[in-house]
Amino acid sequence: MENGYIMKKKRTSSVFVSSKWFFAEKPVIYILLFTYLFLTLLPLVWVLSTSFKSNEEAISLPPQFIPTNPTFDNYLFVLTEPHIMHSLFNSFLVSIGSTILSVAISALGGYAFARFHFKGKNILLSVILGLFMIPVLINIIPLYIMFSQIGLLNSLIGLILTFQILIIPLNIFLLKSYFETIPRELEEAALIDGCSTLGVLRRITIPLSMPGFAIAAVLAFRFSWNEFILPIVLANKPDSIVFQVALYEFVSLYSIEWGYLTAGINIAIIPILVLMLIFQKQMISGLTLGAIRH
Amino acid sequence: MLILKSFEPYLFLLPSIIILFVFLFIPLIWNVYISLHDVSILTIIKEWNFVGFKNFYNIFSDYNFYNSLKVTLVFVCGSVLLQFGFGLLIALLLNQQIRASGLFRTLFIIPWTVSTVITGFSFKFLFDDSFGIINYVIEKVGLESIGWFSDPNLAIWIVIVANTWYGAPFTILFLTAGLLSINPTLYEAAIIDGATKFRRFFYITLPLLKSFILTNLILVTVWTINFFDLQLIMTNGGPLSSTTTLSLYMYKQAFEFGYFSEGAAVGILLIIMNIAVALVYLKLFDVRNKKT
Amino acid sequence: MAKLKILITVSFAILFLFFISPMKLIPIIAQEEITLTAIFAEPKERWDVLLENATKILNERHPDKTIKIDYRVLPYSDTRTQILTAMAGKTPIDLISLDQIWLGEFAEAGFLSDLTSNTQKWNKSSDWYVQNWEGGLYNDQVKGIWAWTDVRALWYWKDLLDKAEINPDELENWDGYISASNKLNQFLQKDGIQGMHLVGAAHSPDMWYPYLWMIGGEILEKRDGHPTKQNYWYPTYNSDFGVRALQFLKDQVDAGTKPQINHYWGQEFADKKFAIMLEGSWLLGQFDKNEWDTLKEKIGMIPMFPVPNSSNTNTSTLMGGWLLSIPETSQNKDLSWELLTIMVEPNVLIPMLLQQGYLPTQKSIGEGEYSAKLKSTIPYYEELVSLISLGKGRPNIPEYPIVAEHIRNAIEQVYNGMDPKQALDEASKQSAKALGW
Repeated sequence: MENGYIMKKKRTSSVFVSSKWFFAEKPVIYILLFTYLFLTLLPLVWVLSTSFKSNEEAISLPPQFIPTNPTFDNYLFVLTEPHIMHSLFNSFLVSIGSTILSVAISALGGYAFARFHFKGKNILLSVILGLFMIPVLINIIPLYIMFSQIGLLNSLIGLILTFQILIIPLNIFLLKSYFETIPRELEEAALIDGCSTLGVLRRITIPLSMPGFAIAAVLAFRFSWNEFILPIVLANKPDSIVFQVALYEFVSLYSIEWGYLTAGINIAIIPILVLMLIFQKQMISGLTLGAIRH
Repeated sequence: MLILKSFEPYLFLLPSIIILFVFLFIPLIWNVYISLHDVSILTIIKEWNFVGFKNFYNIFSDYNFYNSLKVTLVFVCGSVLLQFGFGLLIALLLNQQIRASGLFRTLFIIPWTVSTVITGFSFKFLFDDSFGIINYVIEKVGLESIGWFSDPNLAIWIVIVANTWYGAPFTILFLTAGLLSINPTLYEAAIIDGATKFRRFFYITLPLLKSFILTNLILVTVWTINFFDLQLIMTNGGPLSSTTTLSLYMYKQAFEFGYFSEGAAVGILLIIMNIAVALVYLKLFDVRNKKT
Repeated sequence: MAKLKILITVSFAILFLFFISPMKLIPIIAQEEITLTAIFAEPKERWDVLLENATKILNERHPDKTIKIDYRVLPYSDTRTQILTAMAGKTPIDLISLDQIWLGEFAEAGFLSDLTSNTQKWNKSSDWYVQNWEGGLYNDQVKGIWAWTDVRALWYWKDLLDKAEINPDELENWDGYISASNKLNQFLQKDGIQGMHLVGAAHSPDMWYPYLWMIGGEILEKRDGHPTKQNYWYPTYNSDFGVRALQFLKDQVDAGTKPQINHYWGQEFADKKFAIMLEGSWLLGQFDKNEWDTLKEKIGMIPMFPVPNSSNTNTSTLMGGWLLSIPETSQNKDLSWELLTIMVEPNVLIPMLLQQGYLPTQKSIGEGEYSAKLKSTIPYYEELVSLISLGKGRPNIPEYPIVAEHIRNAIEQVYNGMDPKQALDEASKQSAKALGW
């Protein structure tokens, strides 16, 4: 079963002859791109290099790109701190749980918007869009008090549920767009054959939307893995602390051990980076595709 | 069975609605409640007295509030302009016929995939007064090292730079999507008609990108107004409150001073500000949001 | 293709989880297990030392139980924030470290449990220095136990002063201090060493109060006519005394001393980045223990803050330190109290004091039977202890943290060029409001 719509979109990226800025000469373009690439990667490369230096060497002058005495000590230190490893584990649990939940919920919601016409559809859509206007922080205190009364404080489940508010609006739009690119005829054919709506969803729509799900999942994971303001208030016990918070608190306000910190930073980047590398094509084409339909 | 069928869309939407209602909407209402009562560290576990608009009055008579407004203006304008500028430029460049555009795109996204904690500390390290590599390079070329984080006029710009680094990829992707949606035959026709690159850009690309640019600007601006992670991590609002944006001001009122109700009041003001900004953009672009 | 990628991802995730899960803490299941939770402020080493011994002793006293202490050590302001949110959400916490300046606020808010009856049974209060015991009282109830204290004094590197041909006595008055800083900067600049250390960090008010106090000023004063309380505290730190004291700081900046935004608890002095530093007695903890017996040859200490003129003004200093408190939300109040008492027992406390260079709040440790070890180990011990009587604490009232923020802001403004009187007047206006006037 070929998905004609998606194929059509893909072809534009290779044969595109777009408008050109006035200095369209190829070498200039490459120079600009490489400059921006350099600026983009500089902070992270520098942090990577520092993570292999001892704490003293990290802040000594002159700074060297290649450490004079490369050491794995920083990584060893971070990875053998039970507190930090525990937080890493928590982050994983929360991120994975949050991803699964949000993709499931957003898929259902996105499908509803994509396929049905119902009363209040436009209003609901605008409301969900409007939710972007609310700064997340503003809800922390009420959430905190609410959680403490229900007993969800310092629990990973509580975090998983709270993170949904960061992800659901975005993923609903994303998956809505994806579902809209799947030809209705296929679904209608199955419906005529006696399939229930859920069955159609399960057997036809979902398999075809795998790329969309992939991006929704990656985005959900990214938001959950990187979030640190919500957990710092809602889950501040050693048992339920997540990695970004542990990293942040690992650092003293007054003196920072940069060797350890940069090692911790690199460890935090790994899961996201790996995900990105595996799903890079989907991520890019999916994010842009989702936007096109908007 | 038929009735159930017509309820299907609502059933499908139910989980989302429940979660958003409980975890986003109810706290919001509670917030409004808090902003109208006296809730501070001293009263939090005791009684909350109703005080009407007193908290808003307190905010409006605090000169730090006005300072934060000013800082927010600088921060938002700087961040949005830089993010949009770079984002548009890179999106356009990547759309040319160049090799490895996919690879470039992947690498350019990396800043957006790391967390704000990582971004904040990385830039703090880079720009440190004494051992930062930036100052080292500056001194190497013979200039005097700059106190990036100790100069009230400079610190905010470092935060803006970090924010741009972090947020530009989103704009790049978003506008790339827009560029990809433009039918290439339009350009081919224009080239045949003899249009210059300049004219092709202004008469084809920009107009067709309009809705993408609008959405992008609204999202980026609102996110920047609400954002405070980097300000907290890199400078904690200093020096001399020169990096205390309104969002950070809200955080400090609530969590550093323990003035929860004032914090809630500022939050309400932020929401109003966001909506106002979105409306202004819509008016400027003269577009009526049509939903399909 | 997408399926394959998902498979890879899931496998990777499982591998990663497998890799890190063995390092997860595995709870020991034995007897009755109790875990006490605590929130403490940095630095971490002091708590590690204290709690290791205290926990051991506590468990020995209760063989039928296995007691663990789950303590979080956080940066200063995060400690306050976390305690605040924990209390607001009624999260059970068993033990907290309190900065003396938070006591009034937290006690007024209802966060702290009343330890009065506990202390009466314990009957050790007479061993405490009076100011330190009273520092833990609020409305005549015991809300915290002041576990250790510190005083701030003037430290200098003897060889650097010699190099610049400065006699330490010159540092004892304001004019001499300024002229010394000029000389030091001249001599030491090329070595990359700064002459004086001036605090530009969050605790700058603490380093300013001694100057205010020594010339007769006060931070706050009780006044009549308060809108709701009839008689309450009013800011008086913008008096002429305050302006004069702040002018002295400004003079230092004008003489070329740069206010330091970052603070490393004396490490920067130990690393010889500064020739002179006014710092707390904890500075000693930054030096290697084996250096302590020869420290007096390298480092000089003057037990004072410089005074306006060397003749008849008594110096002053700030007393700090940490209190231990048991939150109202604790569900193990008795056990926590017991732990607290063990932590301040001389046998348990002294090893920590020795390691960190802190000063005791108990007379038996300061001057009595336990003092010998400290006297012989900690350099300048007796001089530092003598400063305690000249030390003042900060106000114990709920609004103090906010007032301190206003003062800090004023100091920062003056560092950046504002006139001291203007800065202090603006700050005191805000403080007055915060105090309810």
